[in-house]
Amino acid sequence: MAVTVNVTSVIEKLVGGQRSFESLGDSVKSLIENINETYPGFSDQILEEDGELRRFVNIYLNDEDIRYLDGLNTELTDDDTVSILPALAGGE
Amino acid sequence: MAHIPNEILQAMVDHAMDDLPNEACGMILIGRSDRQMTVHRVTNTAASPYRYEMSPLEMMKLEQKRDSENLDLFAIYHSHVASAAYPSPTDVRMAFFPPGETDNEPMFPETYYVLVSLENNKPDVRAFHIKKYGEISEESIESEN
Ligand SMILES: [Zn+2]
Repeated sequence: MAVTVNVTSVIEKLVGGQRSFESLGDSVKSLIENINETYPGFSDQILEEDGELRRFVNIYLNDEDIRYLDGLNTELTDDDTVSILPALAGGE
Repeated sequence: MAHIPNEILQAMVDHAMDDLPNEACGMILIGRSDRQMTVHRVTNTAASPYRYEMSPLEMMKLEQKRDSENLDLFAIYHSHVASAAYPSPTDVRMAFFPPGETDNEPMFPETYYVLVSLENNKPDVRAFHIKKYGEISEESIESEN
């Protein structure tokens, strides 16, 4: 499936400085693997060692957080937009 | 020195008050040519008095707006409802990607982190840069009309 990937700020630096690009994947997981083929080291920054999505990285399929869909197994269809965004957070 | 118009300072204080008892957060964008600032409230998805997490989708939309309207990210602001207007250890940790990796460059080296404290009757607003190795450098705010 050909999808559009949007990224911001620090994650942009992991993919050669682009904000938006096309990639392929049947699921979010296979999409990340494909991006990692082109940009080695990408998945290490996005996934924990056990393969789970890092807590401070958010992935949206269109406007839905994949944590509320099927996580990394969320299926993709042609022309979907996947956004991979770092958390901007803090505390007291 | 951070030059911030009074109305922008006031807009951040108003936001902090409106979102009580929770922390409020948002961004100030600035025109690259006209230097006009605008305050953009962002939803605190943590909805907590102790934490903030900016809605990532709203952030992305603001980032796209920055590109299309030729704006820079001047400041990231949030409120402290019961503590001083100074970056907490969590604030510093989260300024890095991955969090706490202070040997990396901070995510937003050029951007001011503005803190609005409501701990006392009179709100306090202060500005900082968070630098490599987690160094906090305060930048005095020069307010102007
Ligand atoms: Zn804070």
